[in-house]
Amino acid sequence: MDELTDNNVFMKIRELTKIYSMGESTVNALDGVSLDIQPGSFTVVMGPSGSGKSTLLYLIGGLDWPTSGSITVADDQIEKMDENALAEFRRNRVGFIFQSFNLVSSMPAEENVGFPLRFSGVPRSNRKARAQAVLAQVGLSDRTTHKPTELSGGQQQRVAIARALINDPPLILADEPTGNLDSHSGFTIMKLLADLNKAGKTVIVVTHDSRMRQFATDTIHLLDGKVVSEDEFIKATESLTQTIEEQGDQL
Amino acid sequence: MRFVDLVSLILYNLGRRKGRVLLTAIGVVIGTAAVVVLVSLAVGLQKNATQSLWGINDLTSIEVYPGYQEVMAMEVKGGGGGGGIYGGDTGVKYLTPKAIEEIKVIPGVKQTIIHDYMQASMELYFGKLMSWGNIMGVDLTDLADMGLEAERGTTELTKGTVVVGSWVPQNFYNPNPRPGEEMTEPPDLLDQNLKAVLIKYTQDGQEVRRTVSLRVVGILKETRGQADGNMYMNLGEVTAFSEWSRGSRIDRNKEGYSYLIVKAEDPDVVLDVADQINALGYMANTPQSYLEGINSFFLVLQIIFGGVGAIALLVAAIGIANTMTMSILERTREIGLMKAVGATNRDVLSIFLGEAAGIGFVGGLGGVILGWGASAVLNVVALSYFASQASEGGGGLPSAAAATPAWLPLFALVFATIVGLLSGLYPALRAATLVPVNALKYE
Ligand SMILES: Nc1ncnc2c1ncn2[C@@H]1O[C@H](COP(=O)(O)OP(=O)(O)O)[C@@H](O)[C@H]1O
Ligand SMILES: [Mg+2]
Repeated sequence: MDELTDNNVFMKIRELTKIYSMGESTVNALDGVSLDIQPGSFTVVMGPSGSGKSTLLYLIGGLDWPTSGSITVADDQIEKMDENALAEFRRNRVGFIFQSFNLVSSMPAEENVGFPLRFSGVPRSNRKARAQAVLAQVGLSDRTTHKPTELSGGQQQRVAIARALINDPPLILADEPTGNLDSHSGFTIMKLLADLNKAGKTVIVVTHDSRMRQFATDTIHLLDGKVVSEDEFIKATESLTQTIEEQGDQL
Repeated sequence: MRFVDLVSLILYNLGRRKGRVLLTAIGVVIGTAAVVVLVSLAVGLQKNATQSLWGINDLTSIEVYPGYQEVMAMEVKGGGGGGGIYGGDTGVKYLTPKAIEEIKVIPGVKQTIIHDYMQASMELYFGKLMSWGNIMGVDLTDLADMGLEAERGTTELTKGTVVVGSWVPQNFYNPNPRPGEEMTEPPDLLDQNLKAVLIKYTQDGQEVRRTVSLRVVGILKETRGQADGNMYMNLGEVTAFSEWSRGSRIDRNKEGYSYLIVKAEDPDVVLDVADQINALGYMANTPQSYLEGINSFFLVLQIIFGGVGAIALLVAAIGIANTMTMSILERTREIGLMKAVGATNRDVLSIFLGEAAGIGFVGGLGGVILGWGASAVLNVVALSYFASQASEGGGGLPSAAAATPAWLPLFALVFATIVGLLSGLYPALRAATLVPVNALKYE
């Protein structure tokens, strides 16, 4: 079967590598990652710190270029796009959610949510109406004029999710969205992402929180820039924990 | 990104950093104000200079001098006498009677008045006082015919009389002052006799003196021109003195006269007539052509003054570049976010260029207002100073020290905005080309 015409695949990632070089030394942040993302799937990406999770997500979101390999979405190869095409891709086809929210602190919630619409040429009045609608969707209709500092962490992340939804993209990417939240607000965010997935969005979430797995259709384990099976992953993490414990004992 | 959204975002971004924007803009305010004040000053000076010219000179007058340019051309050609209307062997186009006829027939010429300097050494005495003087022969009996007016006395010339320019009395001084004696007061010459001593030397070096008595029958109004230093006399008498001095007759067909005043029928044809006279090979000067010279001088002055102001703006530009660089460092994550939500490089570039231009515009606006105000204050101060000077010494009162033409504030505003834009170019380009990931990771 010809891979490129497989309609059941939303995104095809092939032999993706990302090498950072700093002076003499180089880091293989991603080392030959191949993945298929199904449409409407909920993919959880797990892995220890530094294993290349964020790098993978940023490459998928078109925020950086891979060193080699390809990412194909609906016949478009992201790594071959120029700046303008990438901007268009980021504007209309992905919504990004960050661990640290990345809200503009001086703007009220509805302006933060409507912010991407400025770059899509949507008039001001429309922006406001749409922002309010999406804020309602994440349960913040009563917080539209609050500034980020006047909101809790969980609420701020919901504003950020609303912003990611404003252009109605088919793909939602979240990089440790619950990393800065207490476990209760974190869980609310997870459920919100699960709801979006049920409503048809394809979701890819990087997380350390294993509670996320109950919503997942797929789980990917990353180790040193490579996709590994769950067994390998557990073995590796156990030996890692042991080493740390041994080191702790020695101290 | 729509233009209105771009502008509103730029204004929003400037608004949330008011303090820093205003501090940076102060530099631009000072630079722009300097440009406005200095150029206004240059324009004001120009106005005064041209006003005094326009006010005093008779606009139908053309001064015509012999055409000396031809000399060089003839020498290059290696030819001597061009013959014909070229006087003698020199190739100079002298103002001979024939030449005067040639000029008289130019359409638009109303009158030609011959001027000829007395060609003799002369000492001038009035009592104990001594002076020098330009005795100018004119073929007129009434100087009023060429637009000169008498301050006191008459403008009419008869045998043995002179009419003197307004500065002539001031040229008299005491050659043997007593110790501690003050500067000589200008004597009142009206209706007085001056003793003119003409001096020549014979071929064996003997000094010959001839004393003539000249009666001053009129003192002219100040013209702020050549006439102020002249002592006008009948042309025939002056020619006689010149001929005595050289000991032979003057052949006007060869040497011509010193210069002509050509009167045009109408101020509108003056430049035309002057051009035609120039085309004949003579040198014609009009008040208008002076005016052109003055104007180009003041244009240079404006550019120099404007340049000094522009240096102040340059310093301000560095301030803007600095502020923008700082601001882009601080907002790196925000830039990353903008790109993550779909801003193109061009959007980011436009936003930051717009902010830099906005600082320039705000500063320009402040500078225009400040410069305008400063020019007004300058005028009040300068005019009261000139007024006190004028009451002591007489003379015209300048209308203004600094004049701000309508184009200047507009130009200054646009210029300040462009300076802002250009200073933001490098920081904005850096912002626009940031890789989104790196910008988002920036701490
Ligand atoms: N801009 C960069 N320059 C150099 N090395 C980088 C850069 N970004 C990430 N890395 C390295 O790449 C590896 C993967 O990073 P990252 O994808 O952020 O890991 P994770 O998100 O799984 O913690 C790490 O070793 C990290 O140090
Ligand atoms: Mg990470």
